[in-house]
Amino acid sequence: MSDEHQHPPAPMVDEVSDFEVLEAAVRELAIEKGLFSAEDHRRWTEYVHTLGPLPAARLVAKAWLDPAYKELAVRDGVKASLDVGVDWINSPPTGFGTPSDYCNLRVLADTPTVKHVVVCTLCSCYPRPILGQSPEWYRTPNYRRRLVRWPRQVLAEFGLQLDPAIEIRVADSNQKTRYIVLPVRPEGTEGWSEEQLAEIVTRDCLIGVAVPKPGVTANTKRPVRPAVHPVDHHH
Amino acid sequence: MSKIEHDRSHHAEKATGIGDPQCFHGEAGPAKFKVGDRVRIKNLPDLFYTRCQVYTRGAIGMVTEAVYESPAAEDEAWDNTESPEWFYSVVFRQQELWPDYPDLYANDTVETEFSERWLEAV
Amino acid sequence: MSQSTREQVMRHLEAVGYLQPALHKPQQAPYPDEIDHSLYRAYTRSAHDVGGEPDTPMTWEEKEEEQWELNTFATCECLAWRGVWNAEERRRRQNVDLGQTQYLGLPYYGRWLLTAARILVDKQHVTLTELVSKIDEVKSRYEQN
Repeated sequence: MSDEHQHPPAPMVDEVSDFEVLEAAVRELAIEKGLFSAEDHRRWTEYVHTLGPLPAARLVAKAWLDPAYKELAVRDGVKASLDVGVDWINSPPTGFGTPSDYCNLRVLADTPTVKHVVVCTLCSCYPRPILGQSPEWYRTPNYRRRLVRWPRQVLAEFGLQLDPAIEIRVADSNQKTRYIVLPVRPEGTEGWSEEQLAEIVTRDCLIGVAVPKPGVTANTKRPVRPAVHPVDHHH
Repeated sequence: MSKIEHDRSHHAEKATGIGDPQCFHGEAGPAKFKVGDRVRIKNLPDLFYTRCQVYTRGAIGMVTEAVYESPAAEDEAWDNTESPEWFYSVVFRQQELWPDYPDLYANDTVETEFSERWLEAV
Repeated sequence: MSQSTREQVMRHLEAVGYLQPALHKPQQAPYPDEIDHSLYRAYTRSAHDVGGEPDTPMTWEEKEEEQWELNTFATCECLAWRGVWNAEERRRRQNVDLGQTQYLGLPYYGRWLLTAARILVDKQHVTLTELVSKIDEVKSRYEQN
């Protein structure tokens, strides 16, 4: 099935939306009233720009190469994150973790008989400090309604079909814990370096809707809804 | 006019350098449940706010871990943080949750977390 | 051309879904004895609690982030950083207090933004008058450019 159906291009008008007006108003008022500073806002934006899935991919690669590290990762995800440069408590500008992501990463280790996949049915809780921002589909009411009850069907839509005897465990991150999936190391990766292994651990593998495969270093291509005034990435 | 003074420093004072939920460690008292306990999810009223999903109510699962101490979300959502509880990770069989879950996939499970108030021993 | 026919077909299959029979039972300001337990629970539900509700297969999409969305995220986190609220207060307001219609009807970050505006007023950090004036001022500023 082709994923190439066209989306209409974003309207090329210089109109400012109600959301953009309100956003500026709220930010300016908050700064005027001393609730936070312009510098705070800039620092947080910069911090968000540093976030992405690479540290989580490296955590998985390290775990594949070192059973002791894998045991640490499963037992204490926050401690294991330090080895990939993520300090859940001190890296964020707050010095007490990010307000929305807390400091309780749990690494869910797949086995030949257990496959994990993550959802937040109540909102879209996601382990941003080690994985970056959540994808749009993860935030949809649709994914949140269906994954917890029809995981096989939803995973099939993502291109993943598993043996019926395998236990699919849906982790619903409804409180302060944040999850990443540590998939089973695939065949055909014998003798690979940590860098080579990390390359095939995509964001989708870390959420659990895909499994790593040699030669596959990107998420499945999906339609991308363009933004009208996209984020300026030149920072 | 009547203006309420909001203290804005209490969380930073409590959690800086320590983390959240780490900052609530030791405040919940002894944990009522332990790994391996069978628990049923209580159907308490969920007026105004809850993070105990309706799909779990009345279902029976097994505690896999006592994960941390924290104010219950229902209280933290109004910044009432004086009475932290133990939180537990609980695993349910999918066939326990959904009457139409196929026998073919009988091994499938769901894992999610509950603050102690939502659990009763079975 | 075959391509444009296929596009028409796909649009048609989506558009026919907009035509649904509806049996409306008017119930504005009902009497108390007209609300059974099931209806009471439905009306007082937490809108965010959707796990297990039926839904249909959809095309899973990625989205390019708007600058205002990233700004909104940073604003909400800065408000929590500096103690105006905590993330759970934000979620309660943003994902439940907003109500069922706005919950499903507004864009994801639209809810974050309205909720950030609301907390400023609710905790008396600004008056509604100040907020409305500021919105008006920003609008004029953009219109002049």
